Amino acid sequence: MHARSGSLRRRCRSIGHAAVVAMLLVALAAAFLVAPTERTMGDAQRIVYLHVADAWVGLAGALVMAAAGAAYLVRRNLRWDHWAQAAAELGWLGATLTLVTGSLWAHAAWNVWWTWDPRLTTALILWALYSGCLLLRGGVDDPHRRARLGAVLAIAGAADLPLVVMATRWFRGMHPAAPAMEPSMRAVLLASVLGFTALFALLLVLRRHQLELQRLVEELTESEKEMPC
Amino acid sequence: MASLEMTARLWWILWKDLVSECRARRAWPAMLLLGIVVAFTFAGQMDLPPDEQKRVAGGLVWLAIFLAGMLALERSFASERENGCWQGLRLCPVSSHAVYLAKLAVNVVALAALQGVLIPLFVVLSGVPLLAHPAAMLLVAALGNVALAAAGTLLGALTAGSRNTAHLLPLLLLPMAVPAVLAAAEATRLAMDGQFGAPWRQWTELLAAFAVLFTTIGIMLFDFVIEE
Repeated sequence: MHARSGSLRRRCRSIGHAAVVAMLLVALAAAFLVAPTERTMGDAQRIVYLHVADAWVGLAGALVMAAAGAAYLVRRNLRWDHWAQAAAELGWLGATLTLVTGSLWAHAAWNVWWTWDPRLTTALILWALYSGCLLLRGGVDDPHRRARLGAVLAIAGAADLPLVVMATRWFRGMHPAAPAMEPSMRAVLLASVLGFTALFALLLVLRRHQLELQRLVEELTESEKEMPC
Repeated sequence: MASLEMTARLWWILWKDLVSECRARRAWPAMLLLGIVVAFTFAGQMDLPPDEQKRVAGGLVWLAIFLAGMLALERSFASERENGCWQGLRLCPVSSHAVYLAKLAVNVVALAALQGVLIPLFVVLSGVPLLAHPAAMLLVAALGNVALAAAGTLLGALTAGSRNTAHLLPLLLLPMAVPAVLAAAEATRLAMDGQFGAPWRQWTELLAAFAVLFTTIGIMLFDFVIEE
C-alpha cells in the first residue's frame, strides 16, 4: 500500500515537472513565433516577455516570504521558515533577472544601461532587500532565531512593496506604466507570466523540501553525536 | 494611569541611555565627527551655480545625515548586547513597546543633535539657503528624523542579533529608507525655493507616511525581535 502511494506520488511529481517544462516551452515559442515584431524596437522588445515574468516572480517571492514569515511568528513551526527561505532565494533570483533584463531593455529603448527611473530604483530596492534578508539569515546560527528575525525583516520589507508597485503612479518616470499592446502580444505575455509562475511554484516546493531534508539530516547528526558509544 | 506608568518607564530607559552616552561617549562623538567630515567633503563638491546647488543640496544634506546617523543607530542595540545588558533590559518590568519607543526616542535625540550641527554647517560651508524657510525646514527635518529613527531602531535591533552586526545595518537600512531619504531630499529642495504647492505636500506626506508606518511596524514586531 505504502509502495503504491509512493509510486503514485512520483508519477504525479513527474507529470507536474513535465507540465511546467511544457508551459515554459510554449511561452518561449510564443514569444519568438506568435508575438509580432514591435515597430520601433524590433526584436529587442521581446525582452518584455521575460522581464515582466521575472518582475512578477520577484514580487511573488516577497509576498510568499512575508506570508510564510507571519505564519512562522504565529505557529512557531520551522516548516514555515523553510517556505520563507525558499521564497527569499527565488525572489532574489527573480529580482536579479528583472534588473538584468530591464537593463538590456533600457539599452535598446533609451540607449542607456541604467537610469534612475523611479520604478527601476524601486526594483533595485527590492533586490537589495532580498540580498540583505539572505545576509541576515546567513549570520544567525540558531534556526528559530533566524526564522524570527527573517520573518520580521520580510514583513517590514513587504511594507516597501506598495512603493514598488505604485512607483509609476506616485512619481513621474520614463518607465512605461501600462504599455499599449497588440492583443496577441498580451496573450504571449500572459503565457510567459503563467509559465514563470508555475516554475516559481515548482522550484519553491522543491527547495522547501530540500531545506526540510537538510534539517532532518542535521537533527539526526546531532542525535547521533549525543548517543553513548 | 497605565499610560502614565508606561511613560515613566519609557523615560527611565531614555534617561539611562542618555546618561550612559554622556559618560562613555561611545557613539555620538564619532557620529558628529563623521557628519562634519562628510559635510566638508560634500560642500567641496557644491561649487556650482546657485540653481544647480539648490538642486543637489537637499540630497547631499540627507545623505550626510543618513551616513553619520548610522553610527548612533547601530550602537543603540549593539551596546546592549555587550556586557549582558540585553538580559537586564529584557528583565525590566516594561513592555517591549516601551523599550522600542524609548530606543526610538534616544535615536531621535541623536539624529536631532546631528541635524542641529549639519544643517547650519552646510549653510555656512556652501551658502545654500537651507534655512530660508525655517518652519518648513524644521517640519521636514523632524519628519525625516522620526522616519530614519523608526526604521533604524527596528533594523538596529534585528542586526544586533546577527554575527555581522556592523556590516548589516547599512545594507538593510539604506534600501528600506530610500523612500524616506528621497522624500526628505525633495521636500528640502522645494522648501528652499519656497515652493509649498502640491509636490511639496506630496513629498511631506510620503515622509510622514513612512514615519508612521515604520513606527507602527516597530511597535508591533519588536517583541519578536528581542525574544531569546
